[in-house]
Amino acid sequence: MSVETVPTRPVGHVPENVFMDRWVLEPKTQRVWGAPHATWFTLMGVGGGLFILARALDRDADLGHWLGIPLVDWISFVAIAVGGLILIGDLGRPWRAWRAFVNVRRSVISWGAWADLIFLTAGALLVLPDLRIGSARPFESLPWDSNATSASGRTLEIVAMIAALGVMIYAGIVLARPRAIPYWHSPSIPLQFLLSSAATAMAVLLVMEFANDVAIEASELWITAAFLVALLALVVGHLLTRSDTPGKKESRDRLLRGQYRLPFLGGVVILGTVVPLALTVVALAVTDARDALAVVLLVLLLPAGFALRLLTLRVGIFPPLKEVPGIFRP
Amino acid sequence: MRWGMVIDVGRCVGCHACTIACKSENESPADAFYAPVIEYEAGTYPNAQMNYLPILCNHCEDAPCITACPSGALTRRDDGIVLADEDVCIGSRACMTACPYGALHLFTGEEGEMRTEHARTEPTVSDRRAHERHQVGTVSKCTYCSHKIDFGLEHGLTPGIDPLATPACVVTCPAECRIFGDLDDATSPISQYIERRGPAEVLRPDAKTGAHTSYVG
Repeated sequence: MSVETVPTRPVGHVPENVFMDRWVLEPKTQRVWGAPHATWFTLMGVGGGLFILARALDRDADLGHWLGIPLVDWISFVAIAVGGLILIGDLGRPWRAWRAFVNVRRSVISWGAWADLIFLTAGALLVLPDLRIGSARPFESLPWDSNATSASGRTLEIVAMIAALGVMIYAGIVLARPRAIPYWHSPSIPLQFLLSSAATAMAVLLVMEFANDVAIEASELWITAAFLVALLALVVGHLLTRSDTPGKKESRDRLLRGQYRLPFLGGVVILGTVVPLALTVVALAVTDARDALAVVLLVLLLPAGFALRLLTLRVGIFPPLKEVPGIFRP
Repeated sequence: MRWGMVIDVGRCVGCHACTIACKSENESPADAFYAPVIEYEAGTYPNAQMNYLPILCNHCEDAPCITACPSGALTRRDDGIVLADEDVCIGSRACMTACPYGALHLFTGEEGEMRTEHARTEPTVSDRRAHERHQVGTVSKCTYCSHKIDFGLEHGLTPGIDPLATPACVVTCPAECRIFGDLDDATSPISQYIERRGPAEVLRPDAKTGAHTSYVG
């Protein structure tokens, strides 16, 4: 008797259902969010941080202009806009993206969508009077300038800065709010993302200062160092607290002993936090080395920030639905 | 009125009829099983035994999927049933990471059934129906067969008792391990079962979702 074989074809990708591989009572890794999310988390975080820090440190006007608008503002607008486009492109139904604004009463993603929109609108309005096309300034008559010297300009700047803070932090809150994935369910996650964004944004600022022959001040290095110390403390603290919780234990094991040990300990912790911190301290002591160290800082912090977010997503593990004593695990 | 289901795992024989009945009733997309059964071994020889854990959407009182969804595609009816509206879903998958039970399923447009980790069958008959009934890039889920409940109520039937008004998985279960009914009605089959069998447990109690699907046995 011949046995009919079932024709098969290769799988395009792994189905996005956490219970699909095998229906077993094992911790299961989320696979619905990955590299695209880590990319837009990073871009939006750094973009928001750059806008806030450049204005808080009053550096925006010193670091070059394009079309009359501060280059720092351009970078933050583009980073957040590109992040938003990646987010939209990753949706199952991208042309319905406007619906992300609907559930403001409950969803953090909706808050974030509004923060993105408000930031881009208020930020664009703020710099609009300085827009120069050729020798013309078509919006010059608007009663404010991008340096926010008037009351209306100051109001726009504050609105844009608050929205930028929202843009920086909401992705982390999206992960931290539900209880489904214990490693994510912690205020540490949004704070880690916030501090990583802030440190990277500071590195971008330092490089821009170097590129524009503006002296890097010690106070800026102290701020960068403070962000990095706080980030390191949060990462270590998060790994040490509630470390035996089902789900979080597996996440922690994967980061410290499993497949992500090298990128996490080597990339995020050492090259992405400890080494930049040491370099910042060196830059504080050696004034002549600040420009070169600023470039190295950015080269280290940007990929490390991305890696922090990607690894956080990759170790998002659902604990077993039910704890069964004596369960047989082959 | 709050619809709920209690599953007596001690009665489950692991026949997977509920999984198939659900698939047939709801024509769910390839790879999306709204009512699978987890099989696991516990104990050591000679006292080892197979156990079965049927799972489905828990239709939570405080549903994290609803809170996570930015588009408002996930809603909770007054009777407690949590529904996903594929016409509104934007495919953010936030619900999938927020649900502790893995009850949400993204329709990726894949056809055929998973044969191994690296191969699928050719498209099945149900794939065609799934493409007619579901939208690629959106999320779908168990509805407690709300269409049957609504039909039954319109025709004077009692969900949990009359098969035409009761979820397909409950109707088909040969071991009667699924009991469905109104949690607010002390005379409903589910309330009486829980009273008789003692308190029911929920899965992932740490998630504090107020699940309407619970377990005894």
